[in-house]
Amino acid sequence: MWRRKRMLQDLEQEMREHIEMATQDNIDRGISPEEARYAALRKFGNVTRIKEDAREVWTVVWLEQFMQDVRFALRQLGKSPAFTIVAVLTLALGIGANTAIFSLTNALMLRPVPVRNPNTLVELLHHYPGEPAFNGFSWDAYQILRQNHVLSDLIVDSPDTFEIHGQAIEPRTVFGGYVGGTFFESLGLQPAIGRLVGSEADNLGHPVPVGVVSWSFWKNNFSSDPSILGKQIVINDTPVTIIGVAPHGFSGLNEEMSQDVWLPLSMEPVIHDAPLGWGSVGLIGRLKPGVSLEGARAELAVLFQSAIQTPDVGPYVRKMDFEMRSASSGLSSPIRQMLNAPVRVLMAVTSLVLLLACANLAGLFLARGASRRQEMAVRVCLGAGRLQLMRQLLTESFLLSLFGGLLSVLLAYFGGRGLLRMVTSGRDIVGLPIHAEVLARPDWRVLVFTGTITFVTAIAFGVFPAMGLSSQPASAMQQVARVGESRPRRLFGKSLIVAQVALSTVLLSVAALFVGYVSHLRNVDLGFRRDHLLLVNLDLGRSGYDAEQWSRLSQDLLTQLQALPGVRSATFSGMTPMLGAGASSFASVDGHPEVHETISINFVSPHYFDTYGTPLLSGRDFSTSDEHGPLVATINEVIAHDFFGSRNPIGSYITLDHVTGRGNDTPKYQIVGVVADAKYNDLQQQPPRTLYLHAFQEDHFVSQLSLRAAMNPESLTGVLREKVASVLKTVPIARITTMTDQIDAAIVPERLTATLSAWFAALAALLASVGLYGLLAYTVSRRTNEIGVRMAVGATGGNVMRMVLVEALVMVGSGLVIGAPLALWSKLLATKLSPDLVANGSIWVLYGVVALAIVTLVAALIPARRASRVDPLVALRCE
Amino acid sequence: MSTKEQKERIELLQGTLDLLILRTLLLGPTHGHAIAKAIEFRSDDVLQVEQGSLYPALHRLIKRRWISVEEGTSENNRRAKFYQLTPKGRKQLTLETSKWDKLTWAIARILRSTEER
Repeated sequence: MWRRKRMLQDLEQEMREHIEMATQDNIDRGISPEEARYAALRKFGNVTRIKEDAREVWTVVWLEQFMQDVRFALRQLGKSPAFTIVAVLTLALGIGANTAIFSLTNALMLRPVPVRNPNTLVELLHHYPGEPAFNGFSWDAYQILRQNHVLSDLIVDSPDTFEIHGQAIEPRTVFGGYVGGTFFESLGLQPAIGRLVGSEADNLGHPVPVGVVSWSFWKNNFSSDPSILGKQIVINDTPVTIIGVAPHGFSGLNEEMSQDVWLPLSMEPVIHDAPLGWGSVGLIGRLKPGVSLEGARAELAVLFQSAIQTPDVGPYVRKMDFEMRSASSGLSSPIRQMLNAPVRVLMAVTSLVLLLACANLAGLFLARGASRRQEMAVRVCLGAGRLQLMRQLLTESFLLSLFGGLLSVLLAYFGGRGLLRMVTSGRDIVGLPIHAEVLARPDWRVLVFTGTITFVTAIAFGVFPAMGLSSQPASAMQQVARVGESRPRRLFGKSLIVAQVALSTVLLSVAALFVGYVSHLRNVDLGFRRDHLLLVNLDLGRSGYDAEQWSRLSQDLLTQLQALPGVRSATFSGMTPMLGAGASSFASVDGHPEVHETISINFVSPHYFDTYGTPLLSGRDFSTSDEHGPLVATINEVIAHDFFGSRNPIGSYITLDHVTGRGNDTPKYQIVGVVADAKYNDLQQQPPRTLYLHAFQEDHFVSQLSLRAAMNPESLTGVLREKVASVLKTVPIARITTMTDQIDAAIVPERLTATLSAWFAALAALLASVGLYGLLAYTVSRRTNEIGVRMAVGATGGNVMRMVLVEALVMVGSGLVIGAPLALWSKLLATKLSPDLVANGSIWVLYGVVALAIVTLVAALIPARRASRVDPLVALRCE
Repeated sequence: MSTKEQKERIELLQGTLDLLILRTLLLGPTHGHAIAKAIEFRSDDVLQVEQGSLYPALHRLIKRRWISVEEGTSENNRRAKFYQLTPKGRKQLTLETSKWDKLTWAIARILRSTEER
């Protein structure tokens, strides 16, 4: 660039020199000085044309033109900074909202796993009706499912958590898994060093204690030292020899769970000391070429049916339904399933926001175009073609979009981090740590997405206002002379406002619906008191206590805690409500073998029901003296109703199919009490059948401590830590939280939807009112003259104000009339997407309508007042 | 001057000016006026260059990096731009020259064969 500049600057001087030299030559030949100069000039040619030619050598024409357009557009935008700032911010918010939500969608659902042909991978699942799907089959079912004709391979991938320790490895828990012999080969993975698990994995008769570790594990624990091969690590007390390192970047098929250790499937029965029963063999299939997901699902479902009809399969498993999903972007996981609906709702919401932003900007551009009509007309008269005018306007809108898009990436990045913080608040979702960088890492998909919507947006709001510009000098000048707007343009401007009002109505109503739902969830009767409860999760993993010691120490702790001022009562339990998982089993009661149902189980110490405020309806609470007595149980009302009907359950015996892990005996529990129903793991669902067993009767290591406080529960944290440390010397506290926080963490998807859609709706309403304000302010200023005339002939300020307000009312009214049915319809849609939404009436739509009417009319008041204060003299003089 | 005007003059073919400039610069760096003079002189004034058009051509060659430019002083002690062949330009000259030779040979052959008929 600088070269070109210098060349052109020096050209003139150089040409002058040339002509002078030529003149001198001519003089030397004896020609008269005057004639000599003339001849030299003639010989040289047209100086101006030569300069042009030289310039052209350096110019790429379209680029030059484009740069000129850009420079001009920048100048134009700089001239009206308020317009530019509003437009860029509107765009940034509209595009940013979409980018943020899309990043989340991308991370959760779209990003492919780094293996060979991820598109043909499918995940095999089964689920009990009404429960989340789960990928865990038995060895026998695996053998049956293998006999299909639709999969080219059936890969075993069973994730698990491992307690590992070893030389130079600090004892800790890592994610890992058991893999079948074809796992690494079929996924196209090559070892970084050593070798990967192969066919030895499938020989159950000869388990080989070997393992493969991840690249990051190798790097972090062994500093990428190749001597790792042949070293031993201890996994759940079983020593395993490391034979290889998985390739860089591979951390299993599950994006949210970074796996570090893989063992052959044959080691699973060894480490768990149990055969490969239901739940222990995870299956990934690879579709044969040309086979559809549906086709494969149909055939495998048949095989699955025959697999669960074999005699040694339990009744629970027999009720399972088969399910199959694409695994191209990794395996399904609780978080994925949980966030699926909210993310879709939010995608819909953000696209509406963007649509609204476009309408808003189109309105702005229209008004701006009208006030620039004079400029445009002058340019037309000076010879600018229609295409040139269009190009100019489009360059402006593209520049605005570009700035908006760039700003939106920043917004989305920080907004996205905020989202993640919210998603992960309180607790690891269902026990899974999400590594933030996985979700926040932007990739080309996000950039392409943002780029595309930026481009489309620019066209959407830039093209329409550019149309209708006249390219004939005469008519262009006529347009300038006309004081008012042409009718179609005025209608278009108004309909943009109507569209914005309608869209905001939809967004506000839907947001109100979600917010209402969350507040419903926060206040719904749980069957226990959620306030003043402090929850402490103890990590018993490496305490070293045996059951006897643990039982004694934990009861000591309870006694000491209950003596503390500020503590009403304290209790231990296996689970606390909404923690995310729980035990369940099939149960029946003596004398009624025909009633055989699933029940949820919790192990609780005495005073659990006091602490939680769950009323004891009949019988008694557990007591410390039960510890060495006969087995006892407390049931909730649902069990009492389902198993006993109107009979009195107290004193009857209840039997569990399998649960307590004491070999094959099926213990009987005598029912000593009936308590009121309480929600267990799910706020949305009805309380399940819940059986409470005594925490200290069998050797259960219950680790959840709950305190009911007489004051703010968090203020007890300090003294609680001291007590725990003094009584339980080897037990660290994993986490302290309050029940309210735990409940909030359990409704993250709902809160996410509610909070975000509320923000977006507020944004939408703001944009709509800014749009209305802008349009009215603009019309009032255009009509100053007319208003002046009206006032001069007797109209009062009130009349004028009414006139403007009526105009606003008509627009807002039409928007609401169009918006309300749309809102009702989208509410239906929303309830379909998140089936748990309670669709309690159309009251939320009403809220949306009222809120919007108020906001927009406030926005209309300002220009209306200004109109009413027009001074007729000033107005008439401005003509 | 009058004698020269009587000679038959040939307009330059498109693109040949570039070739002539390169060839002229093979003798060493020189300034614009000298290049124009050299072309006219060496063609025995048959080739008539509109001297101004030399400059866009020089710019074109600089842009292609076939020649480079330097400040210098002319014969009569004036500051002037001296143009100079780059190695790339030298290569280009060989290439263009052989192309030119082939072209003239081929055209000459065709013209002669029509004459014979």
